[in-house]
Amino acid sequence: MTSLWLAWRTTKRYRVRAVLAVIGVAVIGALLFDMLLLSRGLLASFADLLNSGGFDVRIVGSEGLPIVRLPIAGSTRLAAELRALPEVRDVVLIRIERATLWSNERTSRTVTLVGTTQTSGGPYTIVRGDDLPRDSSSDRCPLLVSRRLAASLGVEPGSSVQISVSPEGVRSALPPVACRVTGVVNFFFASTGEHSVATTMTALQEALSVGAVDADLMLVASQPAAGPAAAVRAIQRVRPDLRAYSNEDVVALFNQNGFAYFRQISFVLSSLTMVFAFLLVATLLTVSVNQRLGEIAALRALGISRGRIASILLWESALLVGGGALLALPLGGLLALGLDQLLRQMPGLPERLHFFVFQWRAVATHAALFGVTAAAAAAYPMWLTARLPIAATLRREVVG
Amino acid sequence: MIRRWLQGTAIAFVAGVALAHAGDSPVDTQAPGVLLSRQLAARARVSIGDSVTFASDPEGTRTVTLRVAGIYEPTPDPMRFTAQRLEAHMHLPDLLAVVADGADPADPAAREAVDTINVKLTDPGDAGRFAAELTARAPGVAATPTGRARDDDPFAVLDRFHLAISAVTVIGATAFLLALMVIRAEERRDTVAILRLIGISRRSLLTAVAIEGLLIAVIGAIFGVLTAFAAEGLVNRFFQARYDTALVFLRVTPSIALRSVATALPLGLAAGIAASWPLLRGEILSLFRR
Repeated sequence: MTSLWLAWRTTKRYRVRAVLAVIGVAVIGALLFDMLLLSRGLLASFADLLNSGGFDVRIVGSEGLPIVRLPIAGSTRLAAELRALPEVRDVVLIRIERATLWSNERTSRTVTLVGTTQTSGGPYTIVRGDDLPRDSSSDRCPLLVSRRLAASLGVEPGSSVQISVSPEGVRSALPPVACRVTGVVNFFFASTGEHSVATTMTALQEALSVGAVDADLMLVASQPAAGPAAAVRAIQRVRPDLRAYSNEDVVALFNQNGFAYFRQISFVLSSLTMVFAFLLVATLLTVSVNQRLGEIAALRALGISRGRIASILLWESALLVGGGALLALPLGGLLALGLDQLLRQMPGLPERLHFFVFQWRAVATHAALFGVTAAAAAAYPMWLTARLPIAATLRREVVG
Repeated sequence: MIRRWLQGTAIAFVAGVALAHAGDSPVDTQAPGVLLSRQLAARARVSIGDSVTFASDPEGTRTVTLRVAGIYEPTPDPMRFTAQRLEAHMHLPDLLAVVADGADPADPAAREAVDTINVKLTDPGDAGRFAAELTARAPGVAATPTGRARDDDPFAVLDRFHLAISAVTVIGATAFLLALMVIRAEERRDTVAILRLIGISRRSLLTAVAIEGLLIAVIGAIFGVLTAFAAEGLVNRFFQARYDTALVFLRVTPSIALRSVATALPLGLAAGIAASWPLLRGEILSLFRR
């Protein structure tokens, strides 16, 4: 009879306590698994979001990645210069303004208006209708509206709307411009409570009543052979007054600042759950061994070696912790869905951003941590049985 | 109806204005004063009374020299606790002297232009109406209430997240507690059998088990609260040093302590009774394995 088989028999004999221990480990393990997903999930999701548009370098007019963007002077000319660089494949200009959108005289919404030179494959998925037209002469003010806004205003592709821009920091009351909805889309970067619309840069210029409008963000796709780092260096040579960041830079910056809280909490809670699981399994095994000292002494008296007894206890620990850890994975997955939904209620977060993202690395770390916990939890009971005096224990059992 | 109050001494928050030099320059006692954050003063190695020069660009094309009148601890902001608080507060005319070009009236940074005006309303409940009225009267001005609705507050979301994690931890801990109580009940199988045999009623035994469970829960809860109190200082000191902030990260309040005790007591009681129930309910002879 192998040590594993003996351990299994013991576990089956004390099935109520074994089931309860496995449930306890599974619940704590689910929490640990979720904390491991959280520790890298937000970053992985954010990186995925940045990469989804196909552009790997971002150019802004000020230090850091500010919430309030400064316009990039001469951005149209700069875009032409950048397109000529061997490290650059494509350049897109973006300008973001606050605006008011009217579907009729009485119904309006405050919206985030995105003017872009990109007319296909932008950071959105088309739900109904078409993308922005390539030719600006075909439609003076084409609009893509978010699904939420379309539902709120009751507009569909083909609907006519009016838009009035409210430029930041400028005291003005610009006249509204007539636009036509070309498509209903899901914007990648729009937050849950935000109404967003996108149009062409030409239409935005008209809405702002200016001849040329400077972009406040430029997206650059680097040549695959050169890579984003080389593109960043080339851009900085052309315009040293601007700040160019590769997607990796942006993720690193946010990792350092924006996501610190979740990194810290996942580290603290992972450590606490590990200590918790260790203490509880160790206590459970120790109490269980103390209850079975007579039985263990009898096995020793029959000739079963110390090593074999220790091995049985190690297997018992592995069965409890391993069973719980296995159950923890699906349980943790379900819990992560709920916790993710809860955290995504935070205002201002892009709808596509997730806090808990499945990664095989998290599963491997989870397994390794529980392996260590099982071994550590079994250490004291193993030591207890190894130094057990056989005759004295048996006598105490009989006399007691 | 609405009384507006604009801060009399307009104090500017300086961001992106470089502190050019400090310390060793001759002290100009007539220079206007500036307040530096503790972090900025430490980084620039200046102390109260030193003269410092601010410039809006690295070349120092437009500068203003001020005297350090005080060093302050920035108000902790949980939304920005990872940010380095390199800040200075100066009078608005001094800030405009660095950033504004008075010759160009079209420049949004001209002398009469400010980014934000803080308004304190007589009745904070009027914020929405005031914002709508102001927007109608002054197109292009965006008025936003600073108070957050409970649902729109990121800390309310975090609060719910922490509560969910606590609930999961309690479920896990309850399973372990039950397992331990089951072991304990099995240990006392013979004792319970003898007690029942000599005529001690089930109700008395149940009361004894309940009191025991309650005592264990009380001792456990008190130990837990004391551990939390002990950890509070350590955690706060660690994170305050890590992020160079005065923000309090962990606070064990009496209401939190009471909530944990109130959760632990019924759980301990229920676990004790549930684990012993089979011994109290079963036939006496079956307890002797007969």
